Amino acid sequence: MAANPLQPYLNAIRRTLEAALCIRNFPSEDVERHNKPEIEVQDSTNNLIGKPLIISRSPLERTLIESSINSVRISVKIKQVDDVDAVITKMYMRFLTQRADQFRILRRKPIEGYTISFLITSIHCEEMILSKLIDWIIQFMYDIDKELSDMKITLSKRARVVAEEYMKQLL
Amino acid sequence: MAERHSFGVNPITCHAWNRDRTQVALSPNNHEVHIYQRADNDWKLVDVLNQHDLRVTGIDWAPKTNRIVTCAVDRNAYVWTQGDDGKWKPTLVLLRINRAATCVKWSPLENKFAVGSGARLISVCYFESENDWWVSKHIKKPIHSTITSIDWHPNNVLLVAGSADFKVRVFSAFIKDIEEMPQPSPWGMKMSLGQLLAEFPNSSGGGGWVHSVAFSGDGNRVCWVGHDSSVSVADATSQMAVSKLRTEFLPFLSCVWVGPSSLVAAGHSCCPMLYSINESGQLYLNCKLDVSQKKEAGGLSAMRKFQSLDRQARIETSDTTLETVHQNAITCLCLYKGGKGSASSVSTSGLDGQLVIWDLQVVVIVVVQVPLIFVTVSLLPTYTSYAK
Amino acid sequence: MILLEINNRIVEETLTLKFKNALAGHKPESIDITIADFDGVLFHISNVGGDKTKVRTSISLKFYKELQEHGADELLKKEYGSLLTQVEDGYNVSVLIDLENVPQNWEEIVKKIGLLKRNCFASVFEKYFDFQERGEEGHKRAVINYRNDETMYVEAKADRVTVVFSTIFKDEDDIVIGKVFMQEFKEGRRASHTAPQVLFSHREPPLELQNTDARVGENIGYITFVLFPRHTNRTTRDNTINLIHIFRDYLHYHIKCSKAYIHSRMRAKTSDFLKVLNRARPEPKNVEKKTITLVYVVFFHQT
Repeated sequence: MAANPLQPYLNAIRRTLEAALCIRNFPSEDVERHNKPEIEVQDSTNNLIGKPLIISRSPLERTLIESSINSVRISVKIKQVDDVDAVITKMYMRFLTQRADQFRILRRKPIEGYTISFLITSIHCEEMILSKLIDWIIQFMYDIDKELSDMKITLSKRARVVAEEYMKQLL
Repeated sequence: MAERHSFGVNPITCHAWNRDRTQVALSPNNHEVHIYQRADNDWKLVDVLNQHDLRVTGIDWAPKTNRIVTCAVDRNAYVWTQGDDGKWKPTLVLLRINRAATCVKWSPLENKFAVGSGARLISVCYFESENDWWVSKHIKKPIHSTITSIDWHPNNVLLVAGSADFKVRVFSAFIKDIEEMPQPSPWGMKMSLGQLLAEFPNSSGGGGWVHSVAFSGDGNRVCWVGHDSSVSVADATSQMAVSKLRTEFLPFLSCVWVGPSSLVAAGHSCCPMLYSINESGQLYLNCKLDVSQKKEAGGLSAMRKFQSLDRQARIETSDTTLETVHQNAITCLCLYKGGKGSASSVSTSGLDGQLVIWDLQVVVIVVVQVPLIFVTVSLLPTYTSYAK
Repeated sequence: MILLEINNRIVEETLTLKFKNALAGHKPESIDITIADFDGVLFHISNVGGDKTKVRTSISLKFYKELQEHGADELLKKEYGSLLTQVEDGYNVSVLIDLENVPQNWEEIVKKIGLLKRNCFASVFEKYFDFQERGEEGHKRAVINYRNDETMYVEAKADRVTVVFSTIFKDEDDIVIGKVFMQEFKEGRRASHTAPQVLFSHREPPLELQNTDARVGENIGYITFVLFPRHTNRTTRDNTINLIHIFRDYLHYHIKCSKAYIHSRMRAKTSDFLKVLNRARPEPKNVEKKTITLVYVVFFHQT
């Protein structure tokens, strides 16, 4: 089996996530009786946010991991070489984010400059097994990459067959 | 040896034992505190303390006076006393805070307790007999963020607090209304309430939320664990010298002293670790308490494992159970047998809903090819010398 | 099926059933159905004057007037002859069949009626193919607004006939996917050396249509077919017309199919993702509050 070229990139993300996802339940210091993901509050004065980290595979492909005491935001920029990539990716992300409720950890809107963002809070870590959650994110990134390139290939194959069939008839 | 008790899939926020360890109070990550009675190998739910209306964050069970104190995100603390019918009755404590209470600890004499909070202050609470209620006095300065953990000095007056502002501080929690001025300690002479006696940054760079703090049995040292995966010990008898060990593990969330120079820390790595201090005051990893080895999943060959690793960049395809007994972060660590000076077992609970009791007397089998020699070593404190 | 049918299958099937029933001696039943086809074309099959044996098929094309300018009426007269009947109100062409006198070649007639739309379109092509054949240049370009905002242009030169379609892409996605298809059409000559040259331009009309009222816009594409005598001569022109007049629908049909495929694939994968994510939630086990004692043995290998 050929080594997956994505693997070093995904490994780096996995290691970073393992460290970043060491989060704890942390009640809000700003609003009583609330529990807010501090990474979304983005109050730089309260010391509850860690340094953001970017893992970049190429100028077109990178992952931003922003951590805080009780939440982590993971934003992925998926490789889009041309318009076709962009359209397929856009369609896919729209489809996914419409189902953000079911995914629970999916952010409805990605962070600017990224294709898709996840928000994992300590609540998620309490209801899910963390190691499996990390597995899922890595698997997701691997699959989505493959899925998008498969779709692109299928689209151009279809276009070729459609055009050739037509042109063959036009003697 | 470890004893594993499962209390369902809900995380256990924290737990506390009664004096003879026949009962445990734990919160299933909600507003309730459940009291379980041990019955052989089973647990019987004997009472549910249902007074808080938001997630419970701290429980402490006073061994001598048999009172339970609980605190929660709802900004309240209750002192629970057992009625003649065996049921627990709450008394509200006037914490006077406007953010979540995060941790609570009875003082050694059990006439006071301290509550840390997200209001960036510590409420030191005591019973005012004239009015027949629990009142509190505040320690505010110079706390800049949520108090994550507190512990009492054996002299019943000093308090150590860890905070999300990256600092560990030793305060005086002297309440002149109810107690006598204590003997001076190596931490300092000034004893008025709120007096800051020592302050330690978790790291020189200034980072790392402090997750847990603890006074040693003799009260001369404090240990803490920070988000930079470090374990630190400060010694008041040697000019507040700090020994800091940056570990290779994920950050710890809880720490307790189990001997004069040994402590156990546990957290995101899911495995409790025993750390000790050598003669020159340096911390080192003594051993992991959890030495379980992963069971090889049926028929999963090395080849397949390799392939799956390659393909999915993951450790394992189907079997994602961790090698450790705990399957998710350990959030609470308590002494089970013995005191801070000489504990022989500790208990841990965590997000995986398990309560595990760890024996610190580990059976070590030394294999000298043939024949086998069985040696039993008491880990503490003899293990220290054995390891060297 | 990759290529679209140029006949209207529902019309054919409806009429076939009528003829077959009549031949089998069944009592004819009344009929009144409306069928929609591509390019906003409508068919209406009904009885005339309540007589169940007289079945009229009418077609309405929004752009029939433009086709008339290019001899649609004449072509249809030639093709349908006596089948043509008084044009129904609101329609452009009507043909009538009589179930009391089923002709020998009824199957042929059914086929012909099924091709009504194609034959309406055919007139304009026939006309310009003839111009080219005769080497006549300088005739005004034919402009057929075959859909709202979408236009077909036909122009004849001595050595070629140029057919230009303007087409609107509903959204950006369609433009991008459409471009993928057009790229392949452009390269279609690789599949067949005798295929006509195909050009595609996005946003702006091709050179020959500049300075006309041809629309300019982000969502507009122009597809140009350059047909040579090889495609326009008497023996091949029917085939050429069949293919060319359906081109726009063919392209959009396949853009839609591609999107539908992407969607169905996304749906499947998304439910997959969800299933796996849900596995991260611990299952409540039946064995709760049980105590398990584990004995660990530490092995030291003395060296």
